[in-house]
Amino acid sequence: MSIVALSELLGASVRDASGTVRGRVREVAIVPEEHLTRIAFLVVRTSDGERILPIGAVKSCGAKVRADTDAGIWERFTPSDGVLLLKRDLLDQQIIDVHGRKVVRVNDVEIDSTPVNSHLLLNVLAVDVGARGAVRRLASGVVPAFTLHALLERIPPRVIPWHFVDLLETDPARRVKLKIEYEGLSKMHPADIADIVEDLAPAEREAVFETIDEEVAAGALEELDKRVQVSVVESLAADRAADIVEEMDPDAAADLLGDLTEDRSGEILREMEPEERREVSQLLEFGEHTAAGRMTTEFIAVPETSVVDDAIDALRGFEGGYEALATIYLLGDGKLTGAVPLVKIATGSPAVQLSTLSEPYITCTPDTPEDEVAELFDKYNLLTLAVVDEHGRLAGIITADDVIAMLRHG
Amino acid sequence: MLFRKGWKARLTLVLAVVGPGFITANVDNDAGGIFTYSLAGAQFGYSLLWTMIPITIALVVVQEMASRMGAVTGKGLSDLIREEFGFRVTFLLMLALIVTNFGNIVAEFAGVASSLELFGISRFIVVPLAAALVWLLVVHGTYSSVEKIFLAASAFYVCYIIAGLLAHPDWKAAAVATVSRPSVIGIQNYSYLFMVIGLVGTTIAPWMQFYLQASIVEKGVTARQYRTSRWDVILVCLFTDIVAWFIIVACAATLYSAGHADIKDAADAAQALRPLAGQYAYLLFAAGLFNASLFAASILPISTSYVVCEGLGFESGLDKKFHEAPVFYWLYTALIVAGAGVLLVPRFPLVHVMVLSQVVNGVVLPFVLIFMLLLTNDRELMGDHVNSRGFNIVAWVTVVVMILLTLAMVITQIGSGS
Repeated sequence: MSIVALSELLGASVRDASGTVRGRVREVAIVPEEHLTRIAFLVVRTSDGERILPIGAVKSCGAKVRADTDAGIWERFTPSDGVLLLKRDLLDQQIIDVHGRKVVRVNDVEIDSTPVNSHLLLNVLAVDVGARGAVRRLASGVVPAFTLHALLERIPPRVIPWHFVDLLETDPARRVKLKIEYEGLSKMHPADIADIVEDLAPAEREAVFETIDEEVAAGALEELDKRVQVSVVESLAADRAADIVEEMDPDAAADLLGDLTEDRSGEILREMEPEERREVSQLLEFGEHTAAGRMTTEFIAVPETSVVDDAIDALRGFEGGYEALATIYLLGDGKLTGAVPLVKIATGSPAVQLSTLSEPYITCTPDTPEDEVAELFDKYNLLTLAVVDEHGRLAGIITADDVIAMLRHG
Repeated sequence: MLFRKGWKARLTLVLAVVGPGFITANVDNDAGGIFTYSLAGAQFGYSLLWTMIPITIALVVVQEMASRMGAVTGKGLSDLIREEFGFRVTFLLMLALIVTNFGNIVAEFAGVASSLELFGISRFIVVPLAAALVWLLVVHGTYSSVEKIFLAASAFYVCYIIAGLLAHPDWKAAAVATVSRPSVIGIQNYSYLFMVIGLVGTTIAPWMQFYLQASIVEKGVTARQYRTSRWDVILVCLFTDIVAWFIIVACAATLYSAGHADIKDAADAAQALRPLAGQYAYLLFAAGLFNASLFAASILPISTSYVVCEGLGFESGLDKKFHEAPVFYWLYTALIVAGAGVLLVPRFPLVHVMVLSQVVNGVVLPFVLIFMLLLTNDRELMGDHVNSRGFNIVAWVTVVVMILLTLAMVITQIGSGS
């Protein structure tokens, strides 16, 4: 096997079976629906338009390409959605480096060439994002080939293996045909996804949020910079936006909807499931910079008569963020009567009454300004703070991560 | 209930789209700009005023193209050039841009130096301090708060309008000169051509197009909000050029009329503000020049580093650590250190270099414009927002005229040399 660089291949002269030069390589194509890495054909610019040279007819390739069929039978090339063109779609474009967790620009593409039964099998191996590809692009044709090779040998390669590459494609139909599913991206931490998305152009951000799983999208959306967050949600269709917002923490969802125009947030709320809509609408009524604006309504509260085992069951069924689980709240007659730290539940025997494990707890009212909330967290070293309304009912809780975000971003 | 932040969202929207054009235009009247306009008035009186209308039209068209491209594609100019024209072209253009912008950076530090030389403070103290200040302002993120001070202080340009009014210029002659055709004899004169190219280059600087497009992208202006942005860009272009017109008129009415045809230092240029501030003219001038120069000096090196690194695919961004984006930080640091360092060469001709850097801008401009034209006419990229025919005509004429002027300048210089 040997490695051919895409930039070498492009512009290479092509000889057909008769041995005469028929044209030059203009594009290198993959058809992902057939094979994800294999080169399907070369596009050759001949005196008679652009022609398809199937890879099965290629005998050798590099700076010169030889085919074993006659140029007369090469079909005419017409661009189609299902074909990934390496020069147009990949070279010089930005891609997501799933392993390195960042957006990078492609300097060159490395193609593995293996001879099989007098023919060649070409597979995309990696994209070159380092100096080696850059120097090759800059110097080829200017510096003699031999000198260039010697020079390139000395430059350490910086490549991203093909399976760590997520392509950016803004056309939804084409995304399906090219099998771009952002699988690698979806497995990253939401905060890393957010960092990557912030580096993209708006249309590309939209593409990512249209494609990835709703739950992953919700997590990433929460981590985005406020301005980007708004622009992403503005760009999505209302039903898709609603699907994602439903998966967000209610407090984050309310914050986000509050930043949109009334029309837009109304549209999204209408598309949401009734239960999520009610939660978020309630939160929207409060001022953003108060305890109520910062609180989440997803927490665990069990009757004060419950035992440790009941609390464990409640924990198993909980679907909200884990940060809300630091404390389990106890309710009696609808009012807050106690708070049990998670540790005590983890270490307590199954049949112990939760009320006996309850610790002194701190509360605030829904209209407490957020700087006072921060003071309470600081003074009492809290992980969660209960927000209690005028009737003594538990309206929601504020978690420490919300306070950190509040202090950092204001 | 749902309306708790409705007005806030709207206000943010307005602020988001008003900013970029305004800042760009204010930085446009930088040290190089002030001296080029001043020298044009001092050397040629009203006879270069004819350039202002065509320059304004071209400026509006070019800036509008840059901001439209930013809003529609959401990408910077160097990113687009890289994606559409490949690595080699981008590399060469980035080299040209580094050289051109370096000239402008030198000019900004020269502006800082000459403004404080009016107070008798040596440039050997001022320049290193200014360089360190700029570096720290930007790297430590305090720049965005200082930006407001710079912007507020930009109100200084109004002084030129008042000084122009108080200098009792020959309004009729100035008005006639503004709308009349250029003189044929002038076109055959090297220093006349030099000055015309400088005027274009300082008003429609190449780096501004990159900077404006990047700011539009940064602010997240989208194609939908673009309408507001377009007016911001156009109005601000007009304001910039009205100020430029008054600087030329003020200098023509004071320096040119007094037979003071050459500007050797800031003290000469400050004379144009005498009608307004009398013997304190130099104070006013120094303050304005200092602000304008430091403002542009804080923007130019960082924007150059961003543009170059994005085009060539190096990690960039102030949110990255030094070791994560070494090329970005080194280029930024080198531009400042070298740009300021050059000024420490004894007897460095400040004014000449400031104007020369603007002429280089003018020479490089058509090449940047060609790329902008090709991109804004690409339907695959711009969709329905491709250039209108009128825009294409204005921009292509600008390209051709600038290339012809450059050729003519070279020819006249060879002619005068032999």
